[in-house]
Amino acid sequence: MTKCKLLILLLSSCLAFAGQVHARYYDDVISSGYIAIGLYKNFPPYSFEQNGQPAGVDVEIGKRIAAKLGVEFRPHWITPDENLDDDLRNNVWKGHYLDKDEEQPLAMKKLADVMMRVPYDREFAFRRESTGEMAHEQVVMFGPYQRESWRITFDGRKLDEVSTVAVFQYHPIGVEIDSLPAFYLTAAFGGRMRDNARHFMNVAEAFEAMQNGKVDAVMGMRAEIDWQLFKANDPNYRIGENGFPMMGKQKWDLGMAIKSTYRQLGYTVEEVVDQMIRSGEMAKVYGQYGLTYELPGLYQEVQ
Amino acid sequence: MSKFAAGKGFAVTALVAAMSFSGMATAGVTDKDILNDQATTGDVVSNGLGLRGQRYSPLKAVNTDTVKDLKAVWSFSFGGEKQRGQESQPMVKDGVMYVTGSYSRVFAIDVKTGEELWQYDARLPDGIMPCCDVINRGVALYGDLVIFGTLDAKLVALNKDTGKVKWKKKVGDYKAGYSLTAAPIVVKGKVITGVSGGEFGIVGKVEAYDAKTGKIAWTRPTVEGHMGYIWKDGKKTENGISGGKPGQTWPGDLWKTGGAATWLGGTYDPDVDLLFFGTGNPAPWNSHLRPGDNLFSSSRLAIDPDTGKIVWHFQTTPNDGWDFDGVNELISFDYNDGGKTVKAAATADRNGFMYVLNRESGDFIRGFPFVDEISWASGLDKNGRPIYIDSNRPGNPAAATDGKKGKAIRAVPSFLGGKNWMPMAYSQDTGLFYVPSNEWAMDIWNEPVSYKKGAAYLGAGFTIHPTNEEYIGVLRAMDPKSGKEVWRYKNYAPLWGGVLATAGNLVFMGNPEGYLMAFDAKNGEMKYKFNTGSGIVGSPITWEMDGEQYVSVVSGWGGAVPLWGGEVAKRVKHLNQGGSVWTFKLPKEDS
Repeated sequence: MTKCKLLILLLSSCLAFAGQVHARYYDDVISSGYIAIGLYKNFPPYSFEQNGQPAGVDVEIGKRIAAKLGVEFRPHWITPDENLDDDLRNNVWKGHYLDKDEEQPLAMKKLADVMMRVPYDREFAFRRESTGEMAHEQVVMFGPYQRESWRITFDGRKLDEVSTVAVFQYHPIGVEIDSLPAFYLTAAFGGRMRDNARHFMNVAEAFEAMQNGKVDAVMGMRAEIDWQLFKANDPNYRIGENGFPMMGKQKWDLGMAIKSTYRQLGYTVEEVVDQMIRSGEMAKVYGQYGLTYELPGLYQEVQ
Repeated sequence: MSKFAAGKGFAVTALVAAMSFSGMATAGVTDKDILNDQATTGDVVSNGLGLRGQRYSPLKAVNTDTVKDLKAVWSFSFGGEKQRGQESQPMVKDGVMYVTGSYSRVFAIDVKTGEELWQYDARLPDGIMPCCDVINRGVALYGDLVIFGTLDAKLVALNKDTGKVKWKKKVGDYKAGYSLTAAPIVVKGKVITGVSGGEFGIVGKVEAYDAKTGKIAWTRPTVEGHMGYIWKDGKKTENGISGGKPGQTWPGDLWKTGGAATWLGGTYDPDVDLLFFGTGNPAPWNSHLRPGDNLFSSSRLAIDPDTGKIVWHFQTTPNDGWDFDGVNELISFDYNDGGKTVKAAATADRNGFMYVLNRESGDFIRGFPFVDEISWASGLDKNGRPIYIDSNRPGNPAAATDGKKGKAIRAVPSFLGGKNWMPMAYSQDTGLFYVPSNEWAMDIWNEPVSYKKGAAYLGAGFTIHPTNEEYIGVLRAMDPKSGKEVWRYKNYAPLWGGVLATAGNLVFMGNPEGYLMAFDAKNGEMKYKFNTGSGIVGSPITWEMDGEQYVSVVSGWGGAVPLWGGEVAKRVKHLNQGGSVWTFKLPKEDS
């Protein structure tokens, strides 16, 4: 069943309209001697700079893809836009409208050959516009490599436990602004947790606020929370046992994206990543950063 | 030219300005020039042809009889690859036109020949992600400076003769989501600017800088709870919290990131000595997350230009849930009511209502719809507050957490507004406002299958569609006293450019189809049209040189409309981009 799903995805993309920009086909990538891996900028523990060097799980995967192809790994740093649709357009298939080279007006826009951390979600991939057109026909989303979910960490000195989110009617909790946790804490249960939701630019800042005693807990993506706990290495900060009732998307899979015309490159990349998952190397990479590793749904069903 | 300019200091500028009284105007824009801009036909030295923003010129050589002979005298191309959305209003002073192009560019052009004198390209940082496209709406002129805002949220002052940078100030951090696209204004020697920003947690503000030096004078946040500051002898001093204290109209800590960006700049009226700035929608986008009025989002603010204090506010859409920014220009005008002069000001809001306010007090005088349909409110109460139709408020995200698409709400006008940024004009002859408006609706729903930065997200799904087959755009002549529409012109594509009224009984406006058009101000009969080769989304101006009346407009399709898909895209996707200024006049024998 799952294999069939994958096949449908690839087939439909091959029927899709081929873009007019010169594509970096598999052969182009090999002969150029490098591969541009699309990574969100300043987004630990997935992709960030540490001592001036690219680091994070997505960087590690990208490096292994490059090594397997026998080419140099080059990070293509992505400044996130308002949503994934924008990021795919700016970095995978069309390029950003500000990316203009005055000296060489005919130069190609800087695109990622492969973009990491793209959700692998059938419903998203096949979404149609109100006009009936495929919303994402320019890209192929493939190669799920991790399942992500939400997690709460709390200060054990302020709270004995977090068995349900109801405690946040009474305790301040930090969240990243304009994120699903922010919406959840300000809207769910008639807004009863709203006044205790404290907004920060990112999870790292929220965690710092907890360390400074300004909030009693932080909600974010599991890997982001794990990473903060790993770095802090302080037993006072614990993981909530709670669920997230009424929250739509509890778990989702992350994979990669390529432009729909680069399928050969996609197959090769997929093979490398698949091998990493099956050999247990992927779990090791996540472990290296102190992160929980959960197999994507496709692999969980096969097991 | 530049050699001559290099030796010219402030003293010379002041001297020249003084000499201008004897009719020898050559250089240096003064406060007086700016205050009198509407009456002085030889130049255009303010955004809005006068700080009140009436966009009215007393020139009448070009009129309903002669306009048919209007001919292009030159066209100037902005060149390069950067052709996306030209929303600028040109300025003209001493035979030179100063106009901005998209991507933070400024051009100085010899108005006699259309030749370029200089060009300035702002060097924009890598990885910049401006919220609001790459457009720019024009410059301010003061002394020998040409001042404009850049996409990375800086104010830049250039020498008017050389285009070289004289000073540069950071208004906001582009990394935090700030940008600048509006034309600044100069009031009493200070450059006054707002700021643009997306919904990344910015807080709107209005700021004043010394026009000559770029030194900050005051800053006024537009969200309740934030401290304002004034600089006294270079020392930053607390100047009162906007709205008194935090948490009165916002839940939790959301006031800290409340939005209310002042992205369209403002106007000024010397009679009451007040600045009028509008504010954008509150953040986060969904209104159910922030019960309360969310001051001062979606409002008009009257600000003291000397101190930066908020004197009064008028909120058009409290607890906005439709993205109805309150930024649209507030135009000061006087009218006679039973022998009494009323110091009024009018604005046509994104939300579909036009408001007439007392500009001294901010009191509501009257309000009325200027679009054919409004679905979200049944009317305005006696204070001008909308009477909401609760079933037409976009849904609570808590109700969409089952992972299914939320219930779609049909909202009219769409979030692009009954009227968007494009400025209207007020004619002192007809007493009418000429309002460039659009008739469109949106379906909006909570979209649970949505992702942001590798994380599950709850986006808003929406689609905009026209409410009529034949047209979206409507240029309307509105009577501010009766609230009645006097005439209308219907346009197939949405209107996105500014309007100009003249004493020649004409109303000028461009459309996305590329035409510069002129209408009879009294009855709306189209008297002239000329195709400029790309869509017009800029604002026309008119001025006089050597006894002849000129009209200029920037052409270059773009702005927000082509960024959105759906049914509206079908009407505009064939339109080609561009980037040029067109200048027109009558042949000699006519004028």
